[in-house]
Amino acid sequence: MTAAGRRFGAWRAAWPLLPVLIFLGFFFLYPVGQLLWLSVEIKGTGALTAMHYQRLFASTLYVKVLQITLETSAWCTFFSIVGGYPVAYLLATTSERRRNNLMLWILLPFWTSFLVRTFAWIVLLGRNGAINGWLQALGLTDEPLSLIYNFTGVMIGMTHALMPLAILTMVSVMEQIDANLPKAASTLGARGGQAFWRIYFPLSLPGVAAGGLLVFITAIGFFITPALLGGRLQTMIAQVIITQVQDLMNWAFAGAVSVLLLVTALVVFYLYDRALGMSTLAGETPSTQGGGGRNPIARLSAWIGGHLLGAIGRLCDIVSEAYERLVPRPASRPTREWSRGVLAFLVFLIIFFLAAPTFFIVPVSFTTDAFIEWPPKFFSLRWYDTVFVSPLWREAIVRSLLVGVLSASLAMVVGAPAAFVLVRQRIMGKTALLALVLSPLIIPRIIIAVALFYFYARFGALINVRFIGTSLGLVLGHAVLAIPYVVVTVMAVLKNYDERLDQAAGSLGANPVRTLWHVTIPLIRSGLIAAFLFAFITSFDELTIALFVSGGLATTLPKQMWDDALLKVNPTLAAVSTILLVFITGMILAAEYLRRRALGRSSAA
Amino acid sequence: MTEKLTRIGKLVIGRRRVLKIAGGATLVLAAPAYWKKLSAQEKRIVVRDPGGPYTAGFNEAFHEPFKKATGIESVGVAGQHEPTSLIKGMVDTKTYTWDMALLSQAAHDQLVSEGNYLEDLKIDTPGLRSTPDHFKSAKYAGNDVFTAMFAIRTDHFKGNEPKSWADIWNVKDFPGRRSLRKHPFDTIEEALLADGVPGDKLYPCDIPRALKKLDAIKKDVAVWWTGGAQTSQMLKTGEVHICTTWNARAQAAIDEGAPVKIVWNQNLWSSEGWCIIRGTPKADMCREFIKFAVDGARQAAWTKHVAYGPTHPDAFKHIPEARAKQLPTYPDNFKTAIRADPVYWAKHKDKVTEQFEAWLLT
Repeated sequence: MTAAGRRFGAWRAAWPLLPVLIFLGFFFLYPVGQLLWLSVEIKGTGALTAMHYQRLFASTLYVKVLQITLETSAWCTFFSIVGGYPVAYLLATTSERRRNNLMLWILLPFWTSFLVRTFAWIVLLGRNGAINGWLQALGLTDEPLSLIYNFTGVMIGMTHALMPLAILTMVSVMEQIDANLPKAASTLGARGGQAFWRIYFPLSLPGVAAGGLLVFITAIGFFITPALLGGRLQTMIAQVIITQVQDLMNWAFAGAVSVLLLVTALVVFYLYDRALGMSTLAGETPSTQGGGGRNPIARLSAWIGGHLLGAIGRLCDIVSEAYERLVPRPASRPTREWSRGVLAFLVFLIIFFLAAPTFFIVPVSFTTDAFIEWPPKFFSLRWYDTVFVSPLWREAIVRSLLVGVLSASLAMVVGAPAAFVLVRQRIMGKTALLALVLSPLIIPRIIIAVALFYFYARFGALINVRFIGTSLGLVLGHAVLAIPYVVVTVMAVLKNYDERLDQAAGSLGANPVRTLWHVTIPLIRSGLIAAFLFAFITSFDELTIALFVSGGLATTLPKQMWDDALLKVNPTLAAVSTILLVFITGMILAAEYLRRRALGRSSAA
Repeated sequence: MTEKLTRIGKLVIGRRRVLKIAGGATLVLAAPAYWKKLSAQEKRIVVRDPGGPYTAGFNEAFHEPFKKATGIESVGVAGQHEPTSLIKGMVDTKTYTWDMALLSQAAHDQLVSEGNYLEDLKIDTPGLRSTPDHFKSAKYAGNDVFTAMFAIRTDHFKGNEPKSWADIWNVKDFPGRRSLRKHPFDTIEEALLADGVPGDKLYPCDIPRALKKLDAIKKDVAVWWTGGAQTSQMLKTGEVHICTTWNARAQAAIDEGAPVKIVWNQNLWSSEGWCIIRGTPKADMCREFIKFAVDGARQAAWTKHVAYGPTHPDAFKHIPEARAKQLPTYPDNFKTAIRADPVYWAKHKDKVTEQFEAWLLT
């Protein structure tokens, strides 16, 4: 068979890509492409122009804002991964019961809206805020520290928002690492540090790569957090694009800025792919193991990576050995316990950071004051009263939950099969496909929102279905945003999946569907849950598309919160967040209880 | 047979149950009642407003009495800030999620100059006739006046209070943390006024002069704010001591007992008014609504909820003195007010925004 013939054959096996291609082609590529086309067209004539692109470079402004955006996103990714890794490691290596308990804490930030979280940070970190108050009361500082309205504030807010994404992605990969491998390394003489850095860490890299990528790409689109927690210098590109669309109605130029952003992000993605082996994610041999990849950048980075990891491992061992010599440990406490203790403490700090705004929100919801403030003035239930009395809030909560579940399910159905093909089949243009799948996260939401509005209106009139002002339009729009999370997360878990298990099932007579249902899906379930959660949260916290597509008629929770916070952010938002927190955590605990009971019954039987 | 349970992490979901849920969801999606066309009802118009307290105020002042008087149901919905793009989309595609909207005059000017996106009002009522000319145009009937001013924390300044835009720049005599808007609107004018440009010579703005004046205070600005809710929060908690904002935002902090004072001297006013979205099949019903709404007594009713100024001169006859004093169009507050020129900004905001953003980053 010729090479081309083989590739064609591979494409035939790639049919599960069809849903994602059709869906994104329809609801993303075509509408957004039409809008971006405006940036190269002379208004209404069809003739081409580079005018808007020349303007991009006529002033240094746009390049500078882009640079700020990329730097901010890179730092945020760094902090999310470095902070998230120990948490993910502990989660993946601890007992299942403890993992489930810890997971509840890590998911906490997910259930409070971005608006509430950001205002919680404003109040916590402000000059007269809780943290400065404690620092001064303890006599640690004389003057209040500037914790917000600068780079620090932006990092705190963004890392807080994105670290759970990094943690969940990494956990789902780490859970599949065979715990016997580091043990085997130890019996072969590797000390703790070497066993971890040379064996465990490289195996967890697909998770790090996927988590890093998702955090980075999501961070690029942030604007509310940097706008509210940042200072003069923290202008993000999404903000510039929003100004062009909303305030200036200059869609052509907004399109040009978006294209600049898209191209830059894809170049970063390409380099990342070449150097750090995003191909690890796309199913090629991880560069750190093989090192014999075709491209020199990968080979170089593999060489550097291998040596670097060895060096870090050695360094760890030297330090711990020196420490043990200085402080001889009692025979009853092995090293492993000691390092677990350090790990547990680190994880405690990080979880405290993740949960802090939530802890803050709960007492604030009982305040008598009409502002979110610290310390809250107790005790009043008026904000809960507002929520329970108003049908608007109830309706918004129900609609948001419904739209979230439906769009996440849709994104799973469309996105997960594509992940299988992208990991398992060798097909041409895999990187390009992955880039397409990622682009809904890179293109600013306001562009997608405007594009979808036009598409919905015209397509809806054509087939006589109402997309605008209905939940249907919302579900489809949110699914577009959720697909990238689903595809990347599922790819990451599949990467470490041992395909021989499927082959074994097949040789025992299971057909592919049964194999998938009874073997593969149960084994990668934590990745699937993570993917579903990301998709759900994307929808649950989404405002821009909701404002455009619903036109204010179908109210979602973020829209209702945004509406309520027009003049001031009042404790109603804290009350709603607390209700959600209790409700969702309660659901998770109840499900856990039922599961235990079911397991107990089946083992008794 | 016991249904085999797939453990999806912490959730127990039987496979059949998944199918049932999915099936149920499809039913919900397909249920015609759920998707029923809202605007299909005969006598019903959808009116965009900025949301929050506006919705409550307009319900009381307009929507409820309007339905009683005419039988036409008007529904207020909150739309995003400056919804020009969405209105353009509605007209381009003839998809009328809204029939009319309360828009800032700047948004109105933009929708008129960028293309023909608004309907001619063609209304002649005593209410509109007695509304001053600067609050109306062929496609725009003013409803309220909001104003950009600055507010101070009186507990910080204790008697020696900043009284003018120039005082914000006077860091020596009025030390304290300052906050300005991270946007050229208003901020450019404020810098020029502080630099001594007379109110009637403000436009066209001398941008280089304004940026030079802003240079002088750049390092003393503690916070560059981006959203109105942020300013009321900062004034309430005392994060900053001088803060430019809109009067209703400062009022929200004052109403909660914060030691905050509004400085009305040379405040920059703009208005919001009713516009009909071009091509809506319900334009005539919208006209009825506007005729009804441009009325002193009815405007007075929403001032309980929103601290902006009514455009109709008779409104103050119906507003208690204590509240009237907090509104921008109250004669004492309006005395030194300067109009923020929407025409200037419609023409120049693209370029000035770029210059201002670049200035911020240097």
